[in-house]
Amino acid sequence: MATIVEVTEEKALEVKNLTFTYAGAPAPSLKKINMPIAKNSVTALIGPSGCGKTTLLRSFNRMHDLYPGHTYEGEIVFEGRNILSPKEDLIKLRTQIGMIFQKPTAFPMSIFDNVAYGLRLQGIKNKTELRDRVEAALKGAAIWKEVGERLKDDANGLSGGQQQRLCIARAIAVEPEVLLFDEPTSALDPISTQGIEELVTELKERVSIIIVTHNMQQAARVSDYTGFMYMGDLIELGRTEDLFVTPTEKLTEEYISGKFG
Amino acid sequence: MTAVEKRKLVSKIVLSLSSLSAALGLFFLFWILYVLVSNGLDALNWNVFAFEGAPPGYEESGLKQALVGQLILVGVASLIGVPLGVLAGTYLSEYGQRSKLAETIRDISDIMMSAPSIVIGAFVYAIVVAPMGHFSGWAGVTALTIMMIPIILRTTDDMLHLVPSTLREAAFALGAPKYKVILQVVYRGAKAGVLTGILLGVARIAGETAPLLFTSFNDNFMNTDLNEPMASLTVTMYNYATSPYEDWQKLGWAAAFILSMFILSINILGRIILLKKKGK
Repeated sequence: MATIVEVTEEKALEVKNLTFTYAGAPAPSLKKINMPIAKNSVTALIGPSGCGKTTLLRSFNRMHDLYPGHTYEGEIVFEGRNILSPKEDLIKLRTQIGMIFQKPTAFPMSIFDNVAYGLRLQGIKNKTELRDRVEAALKGAAIWKEVGERLKDDANGLSGGQQQRLCIARAIAVEPEVLLFDEPTSALDPISTQGIEELVTELKERVSIIIVTHNMQQAARVSDYTGFMYMGDLIELGRTEDLFVTPTEKLTEEYISGKFG
Repeated sequence: MTAVEKRKLVSKIVLSLSSLSAALGLFFLFWILYVLVSNGLDALNWNVFAFEGAPPGYEESGLKQALVGQLILVGVASLIGVPLGVLAGTYLSEYGQRSKLAETIRDISDIMMSAPSIVIGAFVYAIVVAPMGHFSGWAGVTALTIMMIPIILRTTDDMLHLVPSTLREAAFALGAPKYKVILQVVYRGAKAGVLTGILLGVARIAGETAPLLFTSFNDNFMNTDLNEPMASLTVTMYNYATSPYEDWQKLGWAAAFILSMFILSINILGRIILLKKKGK
């Protein structure tokens, strides 16, 4: 019954029959989701609170595995392998699929050390290489102009919007294939939000992006594809302009016209 | 009288009662401090630091052995207790979390924290002093360490718990293994709190007499061998203060003053660390 549009581009990820159940929950939070994610494009996930959009997002980098007892069924195919397999190397996976959180998560260390964190984890010790890659990442996240002169300052002294861009710089420094954004602007003011949205659009040249948002205008502005979720089901996945203008499913239409949610 | 007037009257009565109680509490606090400082300063002179204990009536008698003994006892207990407490607290917060084992450890350490310290002294007497056949510095160290671990364990657990879980997730999301997340992100975030917990733990055991009375016992002369009975400021103070000789009683005051200042400065240091953290 779900309407899933054909993705014409190469696929970055493909979700196949994914069912996810939280530890101790009587019913699954994701029910047999099938969803292609197009490469080098932005896919937005929208839907009312509790619909499972963040749960789905956190399955892509196996964030759920930090807490015991949750179960996955089905597959998520990435680079030809099923990343839900118990044999998957989560440390490697998370360097390939990065994540930006709802609230900025600057580590209690300097701006430089924040961005260098993921690089150092990969064993890069060469000072010039670290410097160059930190600079490139900060430029890529459009924050170099603001912090380039004070890389040694504590990252927690930055504003919320700057911290969020710092987190994006930190994530892109390790050159992931996919970036997951979990409501990245819900804690930010309108100007910072605009900055992040512009950044998302620029970044898709280099990475494939999945963004969870409760703001439908944001989904319409930044994404190429939009998935509408409701109570653990993916109701509809379509090209963003089609989904917002001529939705196929009645539920989608009701949601985007503000009848519920 | 209207309802509003009535409420205002009740408010005034409650305010004056609580102010009075606060004043009463502060009055006794400052009285204690006054007596301590005036007697302590009166008894304090260079001899106190320069000489070991001597029979009553000797001019050249001091607290050197007790100062050194106190530093050794508290120092060695901290060397053992701080790493154990911090590591156990780390286990609770980062690995055990809400598991049954972790909750049991939390409950037990809460009980241990409120256990009368003399009971811990008696326990160490039974397991260390009795088998060895004599009092020793190690027995005192054991008692102090047992007292210290639950305090540091619980504060470490609480302080690490205050680090937002999103910060951990962010580090994991960059591909960090768990031990690096703990060492590089969680510890950094909780540094001030954990350090303050350690200092409060040290301050707490530094003021203990009961667990030392029948473990490290006392020694009127200089001893740095932990296998032998060892002097401490607290037990020395107890002995001197309860003696009938005026010069010994004076030394007791000096010990009380030095000990209080030591603990006070540790507490102030803890406050400064926390304030610095907040000021950032």
